[in-house]
Amino acid sequence: MEVLLTSALLLFSAWAWAQEDLGPQGPVVKMALAPVVTVVQGKPASVPLLFRVSSGYHINSNRPKSEFLIPTVLKVEATTDIVIGKTTYPEGQDMSFAFAPEEKLNVYTGDFKVDVLVRPLRSVQAGKYIVRGTLKYQACDNAACYPPKHLPVSFDVKIAKAPPTPRKNPAQSPHVHQ
Amino acid sequence: MSRALNFLWAYGSSVTRLQSPDFRNSRLPVKRNPLILFFIAAIVAAMLFAGVRVARTNRANAPPKGQLMGQLAPDFELPALDGKNLKLSDLRGKAVLLNFWATYCGPCKIEMPWFVELQKEYGPQGFQIVGVAMDDASTEDIAKFAKEMGVNYPILLGKESVGQSYGGVSVLPTTFFLDRDGKLIAREFGLQSRSVFVDHIKKALSQGQAVQARK
Repeated sequence: MEVLLTSALLLFSAWAWAQEDLGPQGPVVKMALAPVVTVVQGKPASVPLLFRVSSGYHINSNRPKSEFLIPTVLKVEATTDIVIGKTTYPEGQDMSFAFAPEEKLNVYTGDFKVDVLVRPLRSVQAGKYIVRGTLKYQACDNAACYPPKHLPVSFDVKIAKAPPTPRKNPAQSPHVHQ
Repeated sequence: MSRALNFLWAYGSSVTRLQSPDFRNSRLPVKRNPLILFFIAAIVAAMLFAGVRVARTNRANAPPKGQLMGQLAPDFELPALDGKNLKLSDLRGKAVLLNFWATYCGPCKIEMPWFVELQKEYGPQGFQIVGVAMDDASTEDIAKFAKEMGVNYPILLGKESVGQSYGGVSVLPTTFFLDRDGKLIAREFGLQSRSVFVDHIKKALSQGQAVQARK
């Protein structure tokens, strides 16, 4: 059994190694399953979206250093019930690459997180809502670049009812305490 | 993967059974030789990796879509930054380096100064570089970029359809080399060393009926 497992591992390693060498077969950036964020009616909340750039590639940060570079941008579709607020991008890493060792590019590699602020309207019904959007990115490796891509993005927002506002005690009649 | 494992399992069994003198009548439980299994797996893994490596090499040197290598390069007419149209077939008689690039492409920026030098060096021998910008950027931005790079060869505003006619340009830079007859003789994906370009240019300049006619 051990030998069989070792053999399987050997085969898989060779396959994975070979695949890695073939360049991007699919999207260079993938999104992790977003956590369901519970938001109270009328209250803002931040939704963290996690992305992973495949090993060996980099994508421009949201603020690349050159006007000619294409920034990574998350566009969230507007919804009628949830107001989409500010999108917060992480700082990129200043890195230089083999194709331009003297130049520093501001990029994302590995895992990075983008926060989206959402605020359901007070009038919206409680329940689960899907928010959709796209992440535009443009990837390169050490020797080549690839045309810009749009990664579909979606996340769930669970809207909870706002707690009833505490009522002030009505003025009591002085006669009660007599 | 499971098929391969099943095969290995079965093969390991059969080899062990074949070694037995009375394997035909054997009802004994089948013994599987772990070493043979491992040895076969190692060979298969090595072949798998080598196969993909060869496939990759072949892909890099493979003719464009439609087996066009050695054939006439797909013709096109595109607007250049100077406002005039350039038709590829009008360059017949010259060796051509056709470079698909984009303003966002860092490796493309490395090649451009080389191209400027190569155009100066080999231009008098009948060599022409043509850049095709596969960009969403505005014409002004592309022109600004080209000016900053000191480009001394025509830059055309590319179209997806032109890229498709060359097998799809999904990697930038992608560079094709045409001989004097307009036939595709080589292509390169990604950043290459300057010497690779020089070799292809020399080959392109020395090939074609136009060269024969000169002799």
